[in-house]
Amino acid sequence: MIDRAACLLPAQGPITAFVYDNPLCALEDLAFEKAVAVGAKTFGCHPYWTEEQFHRELTRGRILPDDLAAELIDDLGDHADTLLGFLGTRYHLRLAMLEQPLRLAPTRELEWLVTESDALRQFRDEVSPAIRSKLVNRTRQWILAEWQGDRGDAQPDRAREIIDPVLAAFDMTGASHWQDATWTRFVLEAVWSACLVGVRDAAPPLAEVAMPIRHRDMLLEATGDDSDVLVHGMLIRFCAAFCDQGLAAWPLPTRDAGFFHGFSNLYGEGSGGPEPWLRGLRAEFEAHAKRGLTPLESIERSLHDLGVAEEEQEAYLARTLLALRGWAGMIWQMETRGDRVPHPVPRGSLVEFLAVRLVLERLALADIAREAFGWQGSLRELRGFVSERIPKQESLTTEQRAFQVFQLAQLRGWRPEALCQLSRFEWATLIREVEAFSSLERRRIFQRAFERRYRMQALDALAATCRLSCLTPVEEAAPPFQVITCIDDREESFRRHLEEIEPGCETFGTAGFFGVAMYFRGAADAHDMPLCPIVVTPKHYVREHVALTFEGTERVRKQTRHAIGTVTHRLHMGSRTFTGGVLAAVLGSLASIPLVMRVLFPRATAHLRIWFGGFVQPPPVTQLELERTEATPGTEAGHIGYTVPEMATIVERLLRDIGLTGRFARIVFVLGHGSASLNNPHESAYNCGACAGGSGGPNARALAQMANDARVRELLAQHGLVIPDATRFIGGHHDTCNDSVRVDDLERLASTHTPDFIRLRGVVNEARRRNAQERCRRFYSAGLNLTADAAIRHVEGRAEDLSQARPEFKHANALCLVGRRQWSRGLFLDRRAFLQSYDPAEDDERFSVLERILQAVVPVCSGINLQYYFSSVDPVGWGAGNKLSHNIASLVGVMDGAASDLRPGLHRQMIEIHEPMRLLFVIETSPAGIHQIMERNPRIAALVRGQWVQLACIDPAQGGIAIVSDGLFVSHTPERSDLPEACSSRDWYYGCRDNVGFARIMPRASLSTNASGGTP
Amino acid sequence: MTLFQLFGIIVVASPAVLVAVLGVTTAWRWPMSERAIHRWIFSAVLIGMAAAIAVLVLMLITGDREVPVEMGQWVVIPEEEFHFHLKFLFDRLSVPFVILSFLLCGTIGAFTNRYLHREPGYRRFSMCYALFTLGMVVTSLAGTIEVLFFGWELVGLSSALLIAFFHERTAAVRNGQWVWSIYRISDAAFLIAALALHHLTGEGDFDLMMGAGPWPEGVAALTPDQALFVGSLLLIAAMGKSALVPFSGWLPRAMEGPTPSSAVFYGALSVHLGAFLLLRVSPILERSAILSAAVMVVGILTAVTAAASARVQSDIKSSLAYASLTQVGVIVAEIGFGLRVIPLIHIIGHACLRTLQLLRAPSLLRDYHTLENAIGGHLPHKASGWSRWFPQPWQRWAYRSAIERFSLDGWLEAIVVRPFMGVFRWCDRMERQWTDWLAGGQSRESDDISPHEVIVEELKL
Repeated sequence: MIDRAACLLPAQGPITAFVYDNPLCALEDLAFEKAVAVGAKTFGCHPYWTEEQFHRELTRGRILPDDLAAELIDDLGDHADTLLGFLGTRYHLRLAMLEQPLRLAPTRELEWLVTESDALRQFRDEVSPAIRSKLVNRTRQWILAEWQGDRGDAQPDRAREIIDPVLAAFDMTGASHWQDATWTRFVLEAVWSACLVGVRDAAPPLAEVAMPIRHRDMLLEATGDDSDVLVHGMLIRFCAAFCDQGLAAWPLPTRDAGFFHGFSNLYGEGSGGPEPWLRGLRAEFEAHAKRGLTPLESIERSLHDLGVAEEEQEAYLARTLLALRGWAGMIWQMETRGDRVPHPVPRGSLVEFLAVRLVLERLALADIAREAFGWQGSLRELRGFVSERIPKQESLTTEQRAFQVFQLAQLRGWRPEALCQLSRFEWATLIREVEAFSSLERRRIFQRAFERRYRMQALDALAATCRLSCLTPVEEAAPPFQVITCIDDREESFRRHLEEIEPGCETFGTAGFFGVAMYFRGAADAHDMPLCPIVVTPKHYVREHVALTFEGTERVRKQTRHAIGTVTHRLHMGSRTFTGGVLAAVLGSLASIPLVMRVLFPRATAHLRIWFGGFVQPPPVTQLELERTEATPGTEAGHIGYTVPEMATIVERLLRDIGLTGRFARIVFVLGHGSASLNNPHESAYNCGACAGGSGGPNARALAQMANDARVRELLAQHGLVIPDATRFIGGHHDTCNDSVRVDDLERLASTHTPDFIRLRGVVNEARRRNAQERCRRFYSAGLNLTADAAIRHVEGRAEDLSQARPEFKHANALCLVGRRQWSRGLFLDRRAFLQSYDPAEDDERFSVLERILQAVVPVCSGINLQYYFSSVDPVGWGAGNKLSHNIASLVGVMDGAASDLRPGLHRQMIEIHEPMRLLFVIETSPAGIHQIMERNPRIAALVRGQWVQLACIDPAQGGIAIVSDGLFVSHTPERSDLPEACSSRDWYYGCRDNVGFARIMPRASLSTNASGGTP
Repeated sequence: MTLFQLFGIIVVASPAVLVAVLGVTTAWRWPMSERAIHRWIFSAVLIGMAAAIAVLVLMLITGDREVPVEMGQWVVIPEEEFHFHLKFLFDRLSVPFVILSFLLCGTIGAFTNRYLHREPGYRRFSMCYALFTLGMVVTSLAGTIEVLFFGWELVGLSSALLIAFFHERTAAVRNGQWVWSIYRISDAAFLIAALALHHLTGEGDFDLMMGAGPWPEGVAALTPDQALFVGSLLLIAAMGKSALVPFSGWLPRAMEGPTPSSAVFYGALSVHLGAFLLLRVSPILERSAILSAAVMVVGILTAVTAAASARVQSDIKSSLAYASLTQVGVIVAEIGFGLRVIPLIHIIGHACLRTLQLLRAPSLLRDYHTLENAIGGHLPHKASGWSRWFPQPWQRWAYRSAIERFSLDGWLEAIVVRPFMGVFRWCDRMERQWTDWLAGGQSRESDDISPHEVIVEELKL
């Protein structure tokens, strides 16, 4: 039962290796829309953006009214045309509710709005002039004709009940000479009165708000005192000490005894301290010890004492665990994935945590109940007792329900006369209809419309490119060089710039560990880092060593590093103790120099630091220990690395995946990526997602070395994959934060390839400058007209700046393309697309290549996308809140401020440019291929069928696009067939901060003469 | 007007102008870009600092060790022997302190410009920051005890507001209020001390009151008993401001604000203000041996408890907060011991060091990684040598006390807060009975309104 509840906890491990996953992965069996609704209730977080945010998007044209209409019709299906009396069809009613914001406020605020504000004096701004004049004129006629003088007495009772109070409020003698403003007031008063009466008489009963299940929630409502404040204060301190990986100088002395006994040993002796609620703690633990209760038995006892019945236990425990979900989740991660932390916690720690938590909770509840009500009885009866003291609430009051109808009446132009004539039954129907399309439902449709707009644009753009691509024949000559990068959306622009600068070159994308799943330890590293997706547990180890030539130098430098490290650590710890006093008094003033330098001149300081670091860093020439001589992989000498056949398998698989099997260039550049920035606890989240928060440089280097090996090439040739002798692979690393590119193992490059390399280097240098320039358009602190050189200086400064809260913007992913580059080459995708290369021509009829690609790409990319989705929908609930108040705790996570729950998810500064949309996969294959793969892979099928991702496929032969909708493939009808064109990426995005639409980037020479609207 | 006076006025006027500019534009809701705000802050701090350095240079050249700068009598009530005298004093204590304030505030200002970029509260932060800077400058240079109190209050107000900067979070507001309450206690003590001083000496001016000779050579014109009385009150004021025992609990709570404000407050400047006050009134301390002993005891107690707490904290900000407090305790003990110049050097060094550490705090994971690579293994993670000599139960007791921060807040709550609230709740009950009787029914409309806002959306979030 507890294990089931634990699945709901955030599945995020220590922050040092940030892994993206769907925060609702426990609910992945459900369909997306169902799951977010359930998730919202369970976790108390928003399922979608708020209506206000969507309305903003509607106003600025990001969502078009057409999208709303289309999605609404799609959602209603056959019910769209259901007629609802004089109200029109259901579709029209709902559309009106979507297009204009319906405001809702607490009852007291409504009272104020009605009596004090202009709500009953003026129409809402959105009401059209036609409706205004219709309402005023028709009502004037009606009132003057039928209500003047005594004529009103003849009206039906119901109408009199509505209109009489309004008439009484106005002086009717001069009614025929009233201005329009007075009539407007009259109309609004009458409509409001009609709504109130109608709702009061006819409203269907509402479900009462369910009583919360936890004692704490009930007490909080009844008294305003929160028992969680007491419990969490203590529990957070203890959890932090228990999970600590080495931050505190003095570790928890009772840690080895486990969570429960560690806690009881620490707190179960000595005096209770001054807090009254803790007085019973010692007795509680003594009782536990006397009866020899295990943690599980303790939980049972607590539940019994709290009076939690058998059938509600699971829900109760889940709620209790979720109250401090960050820490509970971390304990759960540390016990289930102990390999990811240096000091794991024993199995069963979560159960022990829960046992302690319930003991504390009982004490805190008893104390609050005693304070508030003088409660001396047992906790078993507490809930019954408190529930009588909570005022009964209905989810909506009469005024609130009436106010919704009132707003709709204005927007749709319902006259008071018509409203007076509605029967009780019609009122009930009306109210039911309005409430059936609640705010949650409206947001759901908005979300669909929001996604639809991007989907239409993206598919239109692809369709247009497809048509053009089909026309251009593939060139036969080998390109000057080929570049393989990570699938990451941040590499999209880099690839685009490479191709813009050197139109002859080719680029490929694949998961950034390049098929080399390994533990890697660099020459100056202390530990083996796993560099592969989190779902893979590597078996192979790879080490980097300094070249033998520099062995002597390295020995000295290593000792220096060790000495400096030890001294720094001593100083670091010492500065927090008494000895720090001497230190501070003697050296403290010197600290002002780095302080001022680093804040005012970050880039210069960094250069200085690197220059000094150059004396102790390992010498630049190193080599990988890549080849294994023994049979089994391991960490001992001889067991490190891969055998030649293993290498051949890796290389063959990668090349076949991306469809690079012929037309090899003289140089193939394999480029991993990572990101280094200062003052950033989430640094690893900026690294390569396919390397589990590591950096992909070593993988690229290893792959290049494997592919250059003559024996490997021989084996590949036997399998029909011939790499020409003239082709050399080079590994490299791209830092996406400061846009630097490092090239590895250059000393191994034959001199015959030097000219080729120099050409490549020139292009790469230009590409990273332009890439920096394109990134800078997003940074508000960078001018819009930065030159490329200024841009690269700007991003370098950002990476080294202590005060920079946004070293780089992360993903803005919205699209994932799996297919040949042909479909997207020259298309401006605005760094929002994952690009995976795949050539259907290389695949067999079982689609095995596509299958293994999708097995990695779908979960990884959708995991990233959904993490972003939820964090940006509710940055405080699902995300990590605001970075500025983060506080590193126990070296495993961040807290908000002084003490809080651990904050998993992404912080607000990371998701700023992201639009929450489900990822749109566009795969170059036939629908049959997708069906086959989904049948064989339940996880992919669940994600697609549950609409956690959107899916479309491009027919490899004809280029037609089909979208998956409710499990069927529907062909996409383009809205527009033309695609804007621009000479260069810069021309297209220049001057924009926001997302920029799709465009075809045509170098000036080839810009077609009949280009339609090539300016942004 | 002499050069001294010119520069002296500039030192005080530059932050005052900054407050006026930011305050007026905010009050009138004139739009002001981040860049403009930053330019104002930067120039105000730079000009102020340049002027302060100029004063220092002039003092070194002329050999003058004590320069009062008068800005006139603002309130004079001869019958009551009261005057509010706006006077600033440049001497060997205030000049280094004011330069330190400008240096750190300036650095933090530059830091904030990028750190709070595009934060909705950027302007609010700048306003509080300007108030804080003005408060620090006025406090350091104050020539009379009233002026010192004025600056002291500005610092307290801006600190509390900055702690509650993220006012959408309950914890931030709760902790901001806690700090504010502690400050009230210390301010009350300060105010009584100021009144008592006036009453006893007829003067609030430090240079007259402390007798001949520039700081630290002055001799207070008070009897030992008077010194003990006034000094104890001032000690309470200092204890509140510097988070000395038993008020230590507020320091970690102050970490709710954004990193730069934490850095200036508990790391660097305001936490040293208590020690600064003790230094400023050191002639009073010298008159009473008991008082000096009390200062020393408080300092040592703080240093010991804070050092123990610092060792067990497992989050970086609390850890640094207690580390800071350890040094403040040591500094106060040094003052109690009769040292004058060493504590000042200690304050300056410690402030710079701690600011740097606090600003780098979010880099901790990276720094540890670098250190591990350099050392070639996991960092040593064991209790240090001396603690292993004690028997297990002692160790557990000490650890528990330290992690519970010696329950100082709990004791304060039990001894001060509860009785205090008890009295006022009793008064409230009496008043309600009385008004109910008068109204002949329920007299308070506010009783029906629940404190929680009803949340309108079908989801209760």
